[in-house]
Amino acid sequence: MSDKNSFTLKDVSKTFEETQALSSVSLSIEQGEIIALIGPSGAGKTTLLNILSNIIQPDEGKVRIYGKAAAQYSSGRELARKVGLMRQQFDLVGPLPVIHNVLAGKLGEWGLLKSMISFLFPRDKDEAADALERVGLLDKMYDKTSNLSGGEQQRVALARLFLQKPQAILADEPVASLDPARAEDIMSMLVQMVQQEKQTLVASLHSIDLARKYCNRLIALKDGSIYFDLPTAEVTDQQLTGLYQLMESKDGATVAAFS
Amino acid sequence: MTQSAKKLRRPFRFGFVKFSFLIALLLILSSWIFIFWVEEADFLGLFSEKNRDHTKNFLSNMAGIGVENPAFLDAEKWKQALWLTYETLQMSVMAIGFATMAMLLTVVPAARNAADGTLTVTKKWYGWLVYGVIRFLYVLSRAVPELIWAMMIIFIFKPGILPGAIALALHNFGILGKLCAEVIEDLDMRPIRSLASSGAGKVQLLVYGIIPEVMPKFISYILYRWEVIIRTTIVVGFVGAGGLGMEFKLSMSWFHYTDMTLFLICYVMLVWMVDFLSEKLRKAMR
Amino acid sequence: MQHFHKKNILTGLLILVFVWSLFSVQWRADLFHSGGQSTFLHILLGLIQPDLSTDILQLAIVSSWRTLTYAVAGMSLALIVAFVVGILASGILTKGKTQRTAIVGFFRGLLGFMRAIHELVWAWLFVAAVGLSPFAAVFAIAIPYGGILGRIFADMLNDVPAAPINALKACGSSRWQLLMYGYIPHAAADMLSYTMYRFECAIRSSAIMSFVGLGGLGYQIQLSLEDLKYDEVWTFMFFLLGMVIVVDLWSQQLRKRLVA
Repeated sequence: MSDKNSFTLKDVSKTFEETQALSSVSLSIEQGEIIALIGPSGAGKTTLLNILSNIIQPDEGKVRIYGKAAAQYSSGRELARKVGLMRQQFDLVGPLPVIHNVLAGKLGEWGLLKSMISFLFPRDKDEAADALERVGLLDKMYDKTSNLSGGEQQRVALARLFLQKPQAILADEPVASLDPARAEDIMSMLVQMVQQEKQTLVASLHSIDLARKYCNRLIALKDGSIYFDLPTAEVTDQQLTGLYQLMESKDGATVAAFS
Repeated sequence: MTQSAKKLRRPFRFGFVKFSFLIALLLILSSWIFIFWVEEADFLGLFSEKNRDHTKNFLSNMAGIGVENPAFLDAEKWKQALWLTYETLQMSVMAIGFATMAMLLTVVPAARNAADGTLTVTKKWYGWLVYGVIRFLYVLSRAVPELIWAMMIIFIFKPGILPGAIALALHNFGILGKLCAEVIEDLDMRPIRSLASSGAGKVQLLVYGIIPEVMPKFISYILYRWEVIIRTTIVVGFVGAGGLGMEFKLSMSWFHYTDMTLFLICYVMLVWMVDFLSEKLRKAMR
Repeated sequence: MQHFHKKNILTGLLILVFVWSLFSVQWRADLFHSGGQSTFLHILLGLIQPDLSTDILQLAIVSSWRTLTYAVAGMSLALIVAFVVGILASGILTKGKTQRTAIVGFFRGLLGFMRAIHELVWAWLFVAAVGLSPFAAVFAIAIPYGGILGRIFADMLNDVPAAPINALKACGSSRWQLLMYGYIPHAAADMLSYTMYRFECAIRSSAIMSFVGLGGLGYQIQLSLEDLKYDEVWTFMFFLLGMVIVVDLWSQQLRKRLVA
C-alpha cells in the first residue's frame, strides 16, 4: 500500500440488514485523480462514499485514507483536513447568512474563541469573498442562505470547500436535484477547483454524459461489486449498456434496475 | 483579491428585529436598575446570617426534623390529603370542561375566516361585530390571571371547589379560544369548499368538513391546558377556592409545617400524574 | 376507520370524566353568598365604568411598571437558566451513549422539577426563607419559567435537521462550534417566539406576586377588592390587559419578520 494513494480499499464488504450493499470491493485512488462513480440506484455508490469518508465502517476489509487506517482517525478535525464532502443540498444552515456558511469551511482550523468572534464580526472575510466570487455569488454574501435557489446553494457549498481546502473531495450526487444547465455549471466549477488545487475528486453521478465529460476515470458499481474500473477513454458504450441493463427476473418479466 | 470584494461591506439595516432587541435590552437593564436602586433590594442581604438561620429553620421544620409525629408519616393525615388530591383533580377536570364548553360555543365566529364568510360560505353583516366582541372577551379572559379571577369569584360563591373551577375556567377560556380559533383559521379550505359545492348543508359542513379536521388539535390543546390548570389549582386554593391549595394555605397560617410538606408532596405527585396521563392521551389521539 | 373509531371512544371517555367531576359539587342554590348576585352586578358595573381619576391612573402606572420590572428581571434570569440547562438537557454537547443518557436524564429531571411547582408556591417559599424582597418575586418567576423554557429549548434543539449538522461535522467542527453555527441558528426563531409568549405569561405571574405580599398591579387589585371598590379593580385590570396586548402584538410582529 503506497502512501501517495488518497484512498486504498481492500476486500471491503458491508451489509445492511441482510442486503449486501458492498461485497469485496478493492480499489486504490491516487492523489489528483478525478473519478466518477456510476451505476444503477442501489448499486452501493453512497455506501462506498460513506466508507471513503469514514462515516460508516465496513464489516470486513481494510480502508486506508491518506496512508492511515480509517479507524485511526480519532478527531473529525484531522479527517476534515484530508477529506471534504459535498452532497445534494440541505447541507447548509438555512437561517444563517451565506458568509457564515462559507466560513464554516474554516471551523476545523479555528479555535472556539475565533469562531465565536467571527459569528459577530466575520473573520477571514477576504477569503470568503474570494471563494464566493469564484462561484459567482459575491453579491449574495449577506443574504439568508435559505432564500437562495437550489443551484445557488450548491455553489455556496462549493465555496465552503474552497475554504476547507481538503486534499480529497467526495461528492454524493452533487448535481442530482438540478436542471441540466445548472448541473453542468456546478460540475465544471467543481472540477476546475479540484484541478487547480490538485485535489482528488470522487463523485457519484447519475448522468453518464457528465461523468464522461469531466472525469478521467470511471468506476462502475453493480449489485455491490465493481462492474468495471477504467480510464474514461477506454469505456465502451457496450459496457455502459451492460451496466444499466434491465435485469431479467426469474419469471421472465423485466424489472427496471433503477427505480 | 479583487477590488469588488474588498469594497463589499455588510449592509447595515436598523430593522424591527434589531429595534426589538434594543428595547428588550433597555427593559432588562432598567428593570434591574429599578430593583437594585429604586426598590433598594439588598442582594447580599439575602445571604445574611439571619436569613441563613431562618432558611435552615424553615427547611428543617418542613422536613419535620425534631417534630413528633410529622404529618407525612401519619396515616390519617395521608387519608385526608389524598381525599383533597382527589377533589383537586376533580376541580381541574371541571375547570377544563367549563372552559372547553365556553370555547366551543364561541370559537367558530371568533375565527377570521368565519367572520369574512369564507368558512361558512355565507356572509352576515354582523360577522365582524361578533368576531370583535368575542376576541375582546378572549383577550380580557386570558389577560387576567386565575388567582385574580378567583379573588373576585369568591365574593360571589361560597368557598369550595366550584369557585376554583370557575376561576380557572375563566382564564383558560380565553387561551383555548385564541389557540383554537387559530386552528380554524389555518384550516385547509379546499375539502370544505368541495363539500359545500356538492350541496352539503351547514350542519353537514360542520360534522363532515370541519370537526374531523380540527378536533385532534383542539383536544391536544385542551390536554395541554389541563396540565397547566393542575399546576394552578393550588394557587386558586390559596384564596379559598377549595382543594389542596386551601388546606395548604390554612396550615401555613397555623404554622403546621409538616402538613404543608405533605400537601406539597401530593401536589407534585398530582402534577406528574396529570402530565403523564395527558401525554399518553395525546399520543393515543394522534 | 379503525383509528377514527378509537378517537371517538377516547373523546367520549373524556366527556364522561368531565361529567364525573360535576358530581363533586352539590348543586343547590346556597352555592352563592347571600349577597352574591348583587356583588356580581356591582362587578359588572365596574367593568363598564372603571375609575379613571388621576390618582388611580398614576397608581396604576407605577404598579404596572413594578409588575413589568419583576417580570422582565425574572425572564432575563430564566432565559440564562433555560439556555444553559436546556442545551445540557438536549444532549447535543455530550459524547458517547452512556454519558448522553446520564446527562440528558439528569437535566431533564431538573427542568421537570423546576416547572412542576407553581411560581406562587416558589414565591411563598422564598418569602418564608428570606423575607419580603423583590428578589423573591424575581427568583420565583425565574425558576419555573427557566424550567419550561429550558425544556422547550431542548426539544427545539433536538428537532434541528441532521443534514446541515453532519455537513458541519465533516468540515471538522467541534461540538461547541456545531452548537453555535448549526443548532442555535436553526432553532433561534422558534426559541424567540416562544420566549415572547412566555414573557406575556410572566407579566401575569408577576402581577399575582402580590399574594405573598409583594407590590405591583395584583397588590392594588387585592386592596381595591378588599375595599369593595370594583371600579378601581377594573382600572388596574385594564392596565394589565394593555400590557398583555402590547406584548402580544410585539411578538406577532417579530414572528412575522423572523419566519420570512
